[in-house]
Amino acid sequence: MTDSPGAESWKKHQSAFDRVRSVAVTVSEPRSANWIAEQAHVAGNTARDHLQRLVEMNVLQTSTGDGATHYAPDPLYTRMQALRDLLDGRDRDGLLQLRGELQEQVEEWQTKYDADSPSDLRDKAARASTAAETQEMRRTANDWDIIAYRLRLVEDAIEHYSDYAGSSPVTA
Amino acid sequence: MFAFGGGYDPGRASHTVLLELRRTVKQHPAVQHASGEPSGQFTRVTVMLVPSILGREVEEATLTIRWYTGESANSDPEFAFHYSDSSGFDCGWHYEPNPHVNGWGHFQERESADDEYRYETITFGSLQPIPLLWEIFDRLDDRLSGS
Repeated sequence: MTDSPGAESWKKHQSAFDRVRSVAVTVSEPRSANWIAEQAHVAGNTARDHLQRLVEMNVLQTSTGDGATHYAPDPLYTRMQALRDLLDGRDRDGLLQLRGELQEQVEEWQTKYDADSPSDLRDKAARASTAAETQEMRRTANDWDIIAYRLRLVEDAIEHYSDYAGSSPVTA
Repeated sequence: MFAFGGGYDPGRASHTVLLELRRTVKQHPAVQHASGEPSGQFTRVTVMLVPSILGREVEEATLTIRWYTGESANSDPEFAFHYSDSSGFDCGWHYEPNPHVNGWGHFQERESADDEYRYETITFGSLQPIPLLWEIFDRLDDRLSGS
């Protein structure tokens, strides 16, 4: 793997810890230390040390599969990172406005494609008359999945704004 | 990447990858700025590049990244890393269903918006977003220095 394209540049500009972290927080299913080590271009023992630190920091969580420890992002950490990104530079009014914009985008797609959900749109994409249309509809369905998640995050941020933004509750 | 109930949520997984790509891409010396676009929606990462570091004598250069982790946890991802600059040239490394080549992986480029794209089939060293990001910079460097 050390000869794979980009590996030398990546190793030059990011530490082993950062490489392990970046790979581990973006896995779609739990992965072993050896798998993460190979992807991050570090030795197995180095990966295990860094992964253990990331578990202690609540960035990752572990599970056991095939007799080995597997690592995946801690869902609470993932959610906190996404909420932090939403709240940076946005007050409650900004969140309300964003909620409106995201809802409007979803409604526009629902109307344009006569689809209820991203998976419904993917089904329609498979039956589109041209390959270009299929491609465009699939890309829209992918964006729709992401925006649906953003919308749920925004709802969460609005509901718990005073807790997340750290403002003091009004006292009587 | 996993819903609280333990299920896979492609929106959550894809958004997490986009956040990490935006964070990591800033470590590359050719990157001036990276942001989630469209503002508020964050369905892609737009990266403003320093053209001179890439050997390009143009005013502006951009890398646009789309990433979708797939409908299920063991699906292949769908992604695009697409470079464009103020000369009109653009090129990209894509992995998605398409009508141009057999299979998902391909490179496409054109000299200007008036030209037709030229497509070629390619394979990637990794389909993991962060290792692939650095692979793409390597490929971009090769492509631009060879042009």
